[in-house]
Amino acid sequence: MIDLTHVSKSYNRGKIKAVNDLTLTVKPGEIFGFLGPNGAGKTTTIKMIVGLLRPDSGRIAVEGFDVGTDGLKAKQVTTFVPDSPAVYERLTGLEYLNFIGDVYGVPKAERLERIGKWLEIFELAAVVTNPIQSYSHGMRQKIVLTAALLPAPRVMVLDEPLVGLDPRAAHQIKEMFREHCDAGKTLFFSTHIMEVAEKLCDRIGIIHKGRLVACGTMAELKAVDRTEAGQSLEEIFLELTDK
Amino acid sequence: MSKLATVVRAGLRSNFGLATIKYRILKEKKDRWLVPLFGLAALGVVPMFYGIVLLIQNVYYVLRPMGQERALLSFGILAGQLLILLFGIYYIIAAFYFSRDLELLIPLPLRPSEVMASKFAVIVINEYLTAAAVVLPIVITYGVLARGGPGYWVNAALVYAALPVIPLAVVSLVVVVMMRFINVSRKKDALILVGSILLLVLAFGLQIVMGRSMGGGAGPDTSSAAIAAFFTSPDSLLNRVGAFFPPARWGAKAVAGGFTGEGLANLALLWGVSLLLFGAMVVLAEALFYRGLVGLGETTGKKRRLTRAEMSRRVTSGRRAFAAIFAREWKIMNRTPIFLLNGTLVVVLLPAIFVIMATVGGGGAAGGGGDGDGDAMALLKAMASANPLVVILATALFMTICGSVNGTSSSAFSREGGQFWISKAIPVAPREQAAAKFLHSYIVAVLGVITAGVVSAVVFHLGAAHLAAAAAIALVAGVLLTVVGMAIDLARPLLDWVNPQKAIKQNLNVLLGMLADIGILTIVYFGVKALVKAKLATNAVLGIVFAALVALSVVSYAALLKFADKRYPRIES
Repeated sequence: MIDLTHVSKSYNRGKIKAVNDLTLTVKPGEIFGFLGPNGAGKTTTIKMIVGLLRPDSGRIAVEGFDVGTDGLKAKQVTTFVPDSPAVYERLTGLEYLNFIGDVYGVPKAERLERIGKWLEIFELAAVVTNPIQSYSHGMRQKIVLTAALLPAPRVMVLDEPLVGLDPRAAHQIKEMFREHCDAGKTLFFSTHIMEVAEKLCDRIGIIHKGRLVACGTMAELKAVDRTEAGQSLEEIFLELTDK
Repeated sequence: MSKLATVVRAGLRSNFGLATIKYRILKEKKDRWLVPLFGLAALGVVPMFYGIVLLIQNVYYVLRPMGQERALLSFGILAGQLLILLFGIYYIIAAFYFSRDLELLIPLPLRPSEVMASKFAVIVINEYLTAAAVVLPIVITYGVLARGGPGYWVNAALVYAALPVIPLAVVSLVVVVMMRFINVSRKKDALILVGSILLLVLAFGLQIVMGRSMGGGAGPDTSSAAIAAFFTSPDSLLNRVGAFFPPARWGAKAVAGGFTGEGLANLALLWGVSLLLFGAMVVLAEALFYRGLVGLGETTGKKRRLTRAEMSRRVTSGRRAFAAIFAREWKIMNRTPIFLLNGTLVVVLLPAIFVIMATVGGGGAAGGGGDGDGDAMALLKAMASANPLVVILATALFMTICGSVNGTSSSAFSREGGQFWISKAIPVAPREQAAAKFLHSYIVAVLGVITAGVVSAVVFHLGAAHLAAAAAIALVAGVLLTVVGMAIDLARPLLDWVNPQKAIKQNLNVLLGMLADIGILTIVYFGVKALVKAKLATNAVLGIVFAALVALSVVSYAALLKFADKRYPRIES
């Protein structure tokens, strides 16, 4: 579960309000899609949830742990995939996975099983002992995703996780999202791909200029928008962010 | 030409981060505290520069009666050019072939020579700053003492402007040809490492040869008539120094000669050769530069699937977070050539360089021992028997400098760069992460203490008791200096680099760390001086220094861990 209560964040000494009084709850077992135009505050929100940025005001809790005061406990149950897969290029893929396994305290048997499974799915098994430096963008994205899945976290937070993935890997990831949440866990991700959000998400939040302008299931969003029935998420999105 | 100017301007702006500095200081109003700090640091360096100027002045007055004073200029220019050559090799290879902005520049409608020239220009500007510390004090002091007229100062500026061109153009020519004909793109790390070490060896080899040759002139085997003959011919020393690298001789003669025929002829020669080499580089760049770039960034590894047993063996288990972070630090440091050269390798190379300089400078046979001992070592031995306190403290200082005065601790956080998000996202307390980083930096420092200890024992024949006392002090001082370096980097980590060179070589924190080290060592020096003045026994002085350093180390280490807990959440990545 992720809880944001009146969260605000500004840059440049308050001149740029990136996130403005955001209140939002993502329930266990839910895939939550976070949409918004470029610069709307998606990445800032995500970075605050995982503790990379500190909110100016408000409170964020993950699985009941306050990110500000109980950060380590919150981090222990969360993993994060950033929008660009910046990982230790000088380590091999396996060394990076071992590092993540060590810091999250994943037992060896589980490590072996999960690493084996995801390396096969992502077709990384033959290159896992090569330095990450030699990986393509998509392969880096896959190793970051594998690392995020390794601790089997209660909460996964992903910023544009499908960018750079080939269709097969993207398909596998979407299946993994579903499995993860069917097990009662929480998944929060941002995306620009409307079809994915529409088909995959239990609920969707749309942020615009730092404010949450809509939040709910597809049916609820359509009701809020009060436009003609049968509208796609893309049309709703364009309507809500055209101000 | 305007296209070239645009690319050069963009390169300079991005390399020196001018836009970022302006934005941080004027807009975000961060880093403002750096401005007074710099003023303070500059003030701190003044006494050191004053000492250097005094030294130059003395050498000038010794050389002038013999008509050899212009050798001072050629020495300064030669040292500057050697330094440029040494740093140039990293810069050239990294900028020409491995900088990431090439992927943006190559698709633009620019000629290969324009791309290369823009990179070259950025390095030249960088090298002006590098060489300034060596060349300017000598040229300016000389000019003041010799009452140089306008010709002197104008030519000095023109020579300084041309100074980096020849060494950098030579390196560029070699590198461009090498990259075209050898498929090295996949082995770029090895290339940078081997190239740099070869250049270091070359530079110091040259120094040995020079030292031998020049020392030979005044050595015991040489007759007094030969010495007299050597010194009665004006500028014989200049020519001797310049013989190893003629541009240094041309530069010295151009500066000293001013607007005379000799001065202008040498200036023309220096500029002519510089332009010629630059032109050759441009022509070669048109023909070969892009061909050497084929496959740039395309590093491929062998594909091999691990067996189940291999996988089981290589997947770790039960390692503590502290150990995992330490291992990460160790691997990344030693697998990144620029980090390795400026950290782990420096602590091994520095003592070796000291030895070379001491043995050559002493005029004795390298390797020391027996009758071959040079003056420096004989002096050291005499001092050891006369004043053990000085020897122990001097050795401890040598060990401390070899171990701690490098960029390892003061880039401990900056080296993470764009990957710092991982350190912030993982469930490991900042203090534990800082402790693991401390251990890594400290082990590098200990490595330096050990190599310096070996050098002191083997070359300077220092006794075991003296060595142990010096090592004890150096090991404790190492804790303090490591903590201070880390604290500086933690206060303002440089994380937005794309070229690892920026994290350690062009990182202000490394410079600030070294200044802080010098400050601490100066305070210790004055402390010792006060204790000696109070007529305390040697052992008492050593005991007090040791105890004070232990106390400071313990307190500062605890403070560092606390600072990490406070600072990590505030570092926005």
